[in-house]
Amino acid sequence: MRNPDDQGIAARTDSDAPAYANKLSRRDSLKLLAALAASAMLPALSACGSPSTGDAPDGLADAGHWPELDLQPVTASGYGKDPDLITPPEAPWPLTLTPDQLSLLALLSDIIVPAEGKSPSASAVQVPTVIDEWVSAPYPDQQQDRLTVLSALAWLDDEAALRFSQPFATLATAQQLAIIDDIAYRNDQTPRQFQRMAEAFARLRNLVLAAYFCTPDGMEDIGYMGNVAIAGDYPGPTPEAYRHLETVLADLGLSEFAYPVG
Amino acid sequence: MNDFAHTVLVVGSGAGGAMAAYELTRQGHKVLLLEAGRHYDPTTETPMFRPNGDAPLMGASTPDKDFGFYDSTVGGGWEVPDEPYTTAEGTEFLWWRARMLGGRTNHWGRYALRFSEHDFKAKSRDGLGADWPFEYDEIAPWYDKTEALVGVCGTNTGLDDMPPSSDGVLQPAPTPRIPELLIAAAAKKHGIEAAPMHRAILTRALDQRAPCFWATPCGYGCSIGAAFQTTTSLLPMAQATGHLRVITDAMVKTVTTDAGGQVTGVTYIDKKSGSERQVDAKVVVLAASACETARILLNSKTERHPAGLANSSGQVGRNLMDSTGAGLSALVPALMDRPRYNEDGHTANHLFIPWWGHQAHADKELDFPRGYHFELGGRFAEPGAYVSGDLQGYGTALKQQVRAHYGAYVHFALRGEMLPNDDCYMDIDPSVTDKWGIPVPRFHWKWSEHELKQVEHGLKTAKAILETMGATVGELPAAEEAIKKGGEIIHEVGTTRMGDSPEDSVTNQWGQTWDCPNLFVMDGGVFASNPHKNCTLTIMTLAMRNSAWLADQLKAGAL
Ligand SMILES: Cc1cc2nc3c(=O)[nH]c(=O)nc-3n(C[C@H](O)[C@H](O)[C@H](O)COP(=O)(O)OP(=O)(O)OC[C@H]3O[C@@H](n4cnc5c(N)ncnc54)[C@H](O)[C@@H]3O)c2cc1C
Ligand code: SF4
Repeated sequence: MRNPDDQGIAARTDSDAPAYANKLSRRDSLKLLAALAASAMLPALSACGSPSTGDAPDGLADAGHWPELDLQPVTASGYGKDPDLITPPEAPWPLTLTPDQLSLLALLSDIIVPAEGKSPSASAVQVPTVIDEWVSAPYPDQQQDRLTVLSALAWLDDEAALRFSQPFATLATAQQLAIIDDIAYRNDQTPRQFQRMAEAFARLRNLVLAAYFCTPDGMEDIGYMGNVAIAGDYPGPTPEAYRHLETVLADLGLSEFAYPVG
Repeated sequence: MNDFAHTVLVVGSGAGGAMAAYELTRQGHKVLLLEAGRHYDPTTETPMFRPNGDAPLMGASTPDKDFGFYDSTVGGGWEVPDEPYTTAEGTEFLWWRARMLGGRTNHWGRYALRFSEHDFKAKSRDGLGADWPFEYDEIAPWYDKTEALVGVCGTNTGLDDMPPSSDGVLQPAPTPRIPELLIAAAAKKHGIEAAPMHRAILTRALDQRAPCFWATPCGYGCSIGAAFQTTTSLLPMAQATGHLRVITDAMVKTVTTDAGGQVTGVTYIDKKSGSERQVDAKVVVLAASACETARILLNSKTERHPAGLANSSGQVGRNLMDSTGAGLSALVPALMDRPRYNEDGHTANHLFIPWWGHQAHADKELDFPRGYHFELGGRFAEPGAYVSGDLQGYGTALKQQVRAHYGAYVHFALRGEMLPNDDCYMDIDPSVTDKWGIPVPRFHWKWSEHELKQVEHGLKTAKAILETMGATVGELPAAEEAIKKGGEIIHEVGTTRMGDSPEDSVTNQWGQTWDCPNLFVMDGGVFASNPHKNCTLTIMTLAMRNSAWLADQLKAGAL
C-alpha cells in the first residue's frame, strides 16, 4: 500500500522498456547458470514492504516519500577464506533481483552510462548482472547497498506513479529524465524531498560506474593501459606526459624544485 | 622422523623463519620447519593477470578476503577461522595473520628500508624507550648480505635518514611516475626531499628469479619471483640443500623443557588429524611472528617457568609496538585529464618521502620524539569496485568527470615510529581458547601523546604539500580520529625484546633467550624499538645474522 496506483504497477507486465536478463557471457561459467536457475525459483523479492512515510501529496514538499523495505537478510555463505583464485567462483550466492528490478536497473544503468562513440552502454556490458551479484552478496557492505539500491528502485516507481501514474520504465524518456534530473545532483540546492534519494542514487551511480569501468570496454574508455608485461626497465612517463608535468610545475611555480629524472 | 635427523627446529616459514632455515641449511645444519598454515605454491596459485572485473564483487574487500579477492592471503586476514583473539575492555587492536607456507611474505608491501645508528640508539638521545644492544656498523654488512640475497631495488640517496648500501648491492629503482614527480617538487619547496622507495622487488634477474615485468598487483603474489616471498626464494633454496624438511598444517602449541629447564622440543597439533604430536630438537627457533611467538612462550608454563618460558624478566608480551598510521588524500586539479600512459610500475610507490626532521629534533623544535615517512599513492590504476570523486549527474557528462578525475587523486600514507608504553602489551586470555584448546592472546592498547602529536604534525605537513600542489584539503581530522588502530599497520614487534641484560629483556643480541641457551627468537618480537621504517628487512637481517651465529655455536659444540 504505497499509493493508490501501486496495484497498477504490480499488475503491469507489458513494460515498454526492453527487458534485461542476466547473460552468461560475462564470465562464461556454468556456475552462473546454476546460480540463475536457483534465483528464478526463489520467491520474488518484491519492492513493496511496509508503508512508505509521508507519501501523501502534501507531505512531498517536506521530507519526501521513502519506501521502508522489509528485506530479509541474505544468509547465503560467502566464498570463504581460501577460494580458488585462478578460476574464481561465480557469485557463489544466489542472485536475487526480480526480472522487473533487473530491467529497471538496466534502464537506469544506461541513463547513467549510455553508449557513446565506440563505447557500449552499461547494460550492454552486463553491469546490471554485476550489481545483482553485488546486492545479493552476504557481506555487510553489500547488504547495506542492497537496502540502498532496492529502495532507490522502489522510490523511482513510487515517484513515477505520483507524478505520471505509471511505473518508471513505461514513462517517456523526457518524463524519466525529469525525475532523474531532480535526484542526480547533490548539492546545497537539492530540495529536501529529494535529498535522501539523491544520496541513494549517488551510491547506485558509483556502483554502475565501477562495474562499467571494470570491463575491458570500460578500461579502454578510461584509458587504463596497464596489466601488460613489459620486458626490461619500466619505461615511465611518455614525452607527452612529461610535457604536461612541466606545464603544471610552471603554473604552480614549482619548476625550480623539479625532481631530477633521466 | 627417523629418516631425517634434524638439529634445529624452526617454527614459522615467513620472513624470519625462512631466513633462519636458509642460513642454517646453507651451513650444513639439518632443519625441521613447522608451519601452521597450508602448503602454498605461488607458481600455480598466483592470479597474476586476473582483472578485477573477473572476480566476485569486482575484487572488493570483504570479511573473507580483507585486502580484496585476489590478495594472496590464504586462510587468514584480520580473522582466522578457529583461531580467535581477544582485546581487553576499551581496547581496539587488529591482528593480521596469514596461515600459509611463506606467511605474510606472500603479500606484504615489500617496503624494505634500513634502520640506522640514529634509530638504534634513540634512547641515548632522548631517554625514551630502549637502545638496541649493538651498533649500526655491526649490522651494516648483514644488511648488505640480506639486500643482495633478497633483492632490493632502491638508490643510495645520501639522506641522513637512509644509510647507504655497499656498492653493487641495490638493484636499480624504477623511474618515478608523474604524480610522484609533482609531489616531490611540491615537497622540495618545503625543504623536504623525496627519494626512491627501497623495495624487495627485483629489477634485475637474480638466481632462478625473473625481474619485475611492471604489471599485476604484488599483493596477489608474484609467481615469477620478482617480488620477494620466501615461497619463491629462501624456502626452495633451503630445500635444494637437502637439509630442510617442512611440515605444514602443524600448529605449535608449546615449547617443551626438561627438569633442568632447558628446551627439548615442541608440541604441535597436526591440523589435518587434530592430534597432538611431540617432536624433539637440540635447538628451537621461534619465528611464528611477534605475537604468536610470545603466545607460545606464555603458554609454555611449567613449574620452573611459572610465568611462561623465557620470561624471568616478565617482559614476554610487553613492549608491543606497531607503526603509527594515518592517511590524507586530495584531488589535484592540475593532474586532471592528464595524458595517459602505463602507470602500473612495480605496483607500489616509486618515490616516497623519508623522515627529514632529524635536525629539527636535535634543535628541540618538535613536540614529538620520533620520526615518520610518507608512502605516496596516486596513479592510473586498474579500475576496481569503487570510483572516487564527488560525482554529479549522469550520461556522457558524468563519464567525462570520471575520466577527468582518473589518476588525479594523490594519497599520503604516514608511517611513523611508536614508543613502547605500559598500556600496550599482550597476555593470555584466561578463558578463551582456539579450536585446539590453545589459550589465545589478549591485546591491550593505547596510543600515547607521542604518537598523536607525531600524526598531527604529519597531517599538517601532508596538507601543506597538497596545497602547494593546488589541492583543496579542508579541515584536518583530529589526530585521535586520524590515527589507525593498533596492529592495523601490521608491523607488530617488541613482544620478546632483546637487550643487554636478562633483567629487562628476553633475548640477547643474538635472539638467544637469556633463560634457555638453546631457544632462539627470530621474528620481530626481538625489536628493542620500532623505527618508522617498515620492519621486515630488519627481521630478515637479524634472522640471517643470528642464524649464522647459531650455526657457529653448533659447529663449535657450544650448544
Ligand atoms: C598487507 C601487508 C603489507 C605489509 N607491508 C610491509 C612492508 O611493506 N614492509 C615491511 O617491512 N613489512 C610489511 N608487512 C609486515 C610483514 O609482512 C611482517 O613484518 C613479516 O612478514 C613478519 O615476518 P614473520 O616471520 O615474523 O611473520 P610471518 O611472515 O607472518 O610468518 C609467520 C609464520 O609462522 C606461522 N605460524 C604462526 N603461528 C604458528 C604456530 N603456532 N605454529 C607454527 N607456525 C606458526 C604463520 O602461519 C606464518 O606462516 C606487511 C604485512 C602485510 C600483511
Ligand atoms: S609488479 Fe612486478 S614484482 Fe609485483 S607482482 Fe607484478 S611482476 Fe611481480
